[in-house]
Amino acid sequence: MIGNIALTLALLTGVFSIVMYFLTFRGYQNTLSLARISFHATAILVLAASALLLHAILTHQYQYKYVYNYSSSDLPIGLLISTFYAGQEGSFMLWILFTAIIGLILLDYTSKRGDLEPRVMMVFGLALTFLLVMVNPLLKSPFTYIWTTPDFIDLKNINPAYYSLSALQQFMFSDPQSNKQFIQMNSELHGILAASNISVNDFIIQGKGLNPLLQNFWMQIHPPVLFVGFAMSAVPFSFALAALLKNDYKDWVKQALPWVLSGTMVLGLAIMLGGYWAYGVLGWGGYWGWDPVENSSLVPWLVGAASIHTLLVQRKTQEKGAGRFVKTNLILSILTFVLVLYSTFLTRSGILGDASVHSFVDPGMTVYLFLVMFLLLFTLLGIGMVIYRWKYLTDNFTYEENLLSRELALFTGAVALLASAIIVIVGTSAPIFGQTVEIKFYNELNLPIAIIIGLLNGGSLLLKWKMTDKKDLWKQSRFSLLASLVFTVLVALLGGVSEIMLIVLLFSSAFALFVNAEIMLKILKGRKSFLGAYVAHIGIAVFLIGVVASGGYSDHKQVDLVKGEKQNVFGYDLSFTGYEPIDNGKKYAFNVEITKNGSTKIAKPVMFIAEFNNSLMREPDILAGFTKDFYVAPVGYSEGDDDGHTHGSTISLKKGSSTDYNGITITFESFEMPKDAMTSMSSGGEFKIGALLKVLADGKEYTIKPSLVIQGDGRKSESAEFKQKNLRFDIVNMNAGNGTVDIEISNLDENSQSQITNVKKEVLTVEASIKPFISLVWIGVVLMVIGFMISAYRRSKESLV
Amino acid sequence: MKNKYMFGGFIIVVFLGVMIYLFTQTNVSYESSLVKVMQSEKTVKATGSWVKERNYEINKEKNLFSFYLKDDQGNMMKVIYHGTIPNNFESSTSVVVTGKYHDGAFHATDILTKCPSKYQEQPVQNANS
Repeated sequence: MIGNIALTLALLTGVFSIVMYFLTFRGYQNTLSLARISFHATAILVLAASALLLHAILTHQYQYKYVYNYSSSDLPIGLLISTFYAGQEGSFMLWILFTAIIGLILLDYTSKRGDLEPRVMMVFGLALTFLLVMVNPLLKSPFTYIWTTPDFIDLKNINPAYYSLSALQQFMFSDPQSNKQFIQMNSELHGILAASNISVNDFIIQGKGLNPLLQNFWMQIHPPVLFVGFAMSAVPFSFALAALLKNDYKDWVKQALPWVLSGTMVLGLAIMLGGYWAYGVLGWGGYWGWDPVENSSLVPWLVGAASIHTLLVQRKTQEKGAGRFVKTNLILSILTFVLVLYSTFLTRSGILGDASVHSFVDPGMTVYLFLVMFLLLFTLLGIGMVIYRWKYLTDNFTYEENLLSRELALFTGAVALLASAIIVIVGTSAPIFGQTVEIKFYNELNLPIAIIIGLLNGGSLLLKWKMTDKKDLWKQSRFSLLASLVFTVLVALLGGVSEIMLIVLLFSSAFALFVNAEIMLKILKGRKSFLGAYVAHIGIAVFLIGVVASGGYSDHKQVDLVKGEKQNVFGYDLSFTGYEPIDNGKKYAFNVEITKNGSTKIAKPVMFIAEFNNSLMREPDILAGFTKDFYVAPVGYSEGDDDGHTHGSTISLKKGSSTDYNGITITFESFEMPKDAMTSMSSGGEFKIGALLKVLADGKEYTIKPSLVIQGDGRKSESAEFKQKNLRFDIVNMNAGNGTVDIEISNLDENSQSQITNVKKEVLTVEASIKPFISLVWIGVVLMVIGFMISAYRRSKESLV
Repeated sequence: MKNKYMFGGFIIVVFLGVMIYLFTQTNVSYESSLVKVMQSEKTVKATGSWVKERNYEINKEKNLFSFYLKDDQGNMMKVIYHGTIPNNFESSTSVVVTGKYHDGAFHATDILTKCPSKYQEQPVQNANS
């Protein structure tokens, strides 16, 4: 209740501050302080609403639909806090929170720089207000109560003390498939509870919980960093519009530069944090899948990075007038934010449907339309203003470039980045038209662009502003060209690189690396704050080399590791030594010893069944090194009686269901447990459980009964033979609780020895991979971030002069 | 002045041309009708849901995973995937497989399983209370 009030008030004060700032811009006298007060009020209300939501989560207030849907009482505090942004409403809240905080800093920043404040805050406030509309009670508020729209709540989440409530029966439902029971929570039930003085908070005592895929450290940092990046993308947009409003295009560049730099840095970092999450936890072995959600945040980053370079040119050429690339910079700054909105639309509207692993459930028509409106409005606002001023812009700001000038090189580099952005956006938007592109599309088109960017990167730093003498150019670049050539040849020979495009890319990255390194060494003796660009570019070069190496030369192999037996994979001796429960027995870590040249390390990939959705979760373990990562992803584990290599197929059957296998139909009728099973089980004695199978072959029905003989910890399988089809049936696994049995079907005449042995063969199947120089990918990112920070620092000092 | 624009225009045309060409080479359309999928000879992305009643099969030796897919008209199609069963297959509400249909089965090179972000069930009212 209070939360909704806070959000609505925030929306109102937000609108008010926009109006007040607008009036100030138009020259009214007393409106500035009103504008500031109302903006601060908006920020405070947003903070209050966020605090309320966090409090509700921490104190498990399940009367809120959002708290019930995404959190539970058994989450550790770090993850519990992260449920704040686990769903749509909360992630918008987080975005709003960061936008509000950045707004306060922006307000202070712009207030110290002439008449900038009203124009910038007017536009920025508009962005904030639109976001607030998204979470207001009429749309998708995180404070919606759980009974406002009927929802089914698992009975196990209800306080058992109320199970016997007679009124409850009419709200009781059950799901025939899972045999679970539910209470339908709606306003009627709420009324009944209220009348009996039962608070919903007391009635519902457990939440649905957080998706296990999100239950790790990265969930706690990747989304917040991403939303800071999103929030910051509204700043250059606001600055560009401020310039257009005043029709003055000089000062905004140096004022906006530190913001563009920091925003791009944060967004880039967020994107790669997501990549590292995918690599380290999700187990498919990669860090970038060209998934629409990944792509849609990459595109604004590419545009932002492009804009940095054209802004720098404008900055450099400003001694007499506004400088070069006036129109370009306005358009790019507007585009960066518009693309963030487009990315939000793509990922939250449900329009991508089946195309993405991240697809959310369809949020409904109202949200969809609102997102479209949000996107359209800001696009029209930005581009509209540019068109409005177009005549003035073209009359006053059109120039020619010399071919051998840094200006042109930087411009071409920005164009290359934009070309990459277009490629990614075309591929990502294809599902809107019912198409999709294979990963080949992105890789093949981006490869030549990456090459061009590397060459331009080095080249632009060798070229001088305005014009370069050809002889000088050759002299300057000699060392780097030579060093790059040597480097490329060495790596190509030692690494076995034979693809021509990759070799060229290696050369181009090395070229960028050497040019920047040479300049960096010179600067180190002088003004260190100028180091930023060079460090960042070295970072990019290192990153690209890492991408080529790990992307082009990884190798993977699936192996069955029998416990205690060594297997050699990629030159390493692997041995599965056993498993142990971890995390309070909820998960299992499987120990794999990896030995090479006498030294042994242990990898511990993890597997467990998640209660959340009853599926097998797998987490890899990585032995990270500078020259390569040894990646171990668990595939499966089985305890069987044969030598660990199953010779046939395994089928999984639920009681009463059938399946077809090679022309015969197999039905799992029931378990067969002897009467004394319970006593044997508890006394530790030996007992046998059978699976009664009916097999229909060639029109005749047969009864097959494989069994498991269990004593204490050991189990051995008693096969059932089906001579008519030359098949043997073994029970591999059974779960009496949910009535399923896993049957292995193999050929009768293949030798399956050790029928009588009591030793169970434990087999861990893993996919082992070698990823050469993937460390460079991460090192490159770190260098880029450091470079960005140094640059942002330098430019923020310059922005005041 | 003219030269600059002609050069730039030329580059843009080349770029767009290459992009469109590669797009047509790598694009895969979505198909939700399994009848059409089974008739098509091209690589497509077939969408549907896993048929629970006809259980899945895992062949560890050949690293194959097969199951039955059905669309909303009830058509069923056998799918063979060359790889391991995806993590959340059993609880998935819909599946997207990329591949081609031939020799009686859909040979998938890629599987995407979608779990609802909220675990949705379709409960039925209890007959007696």
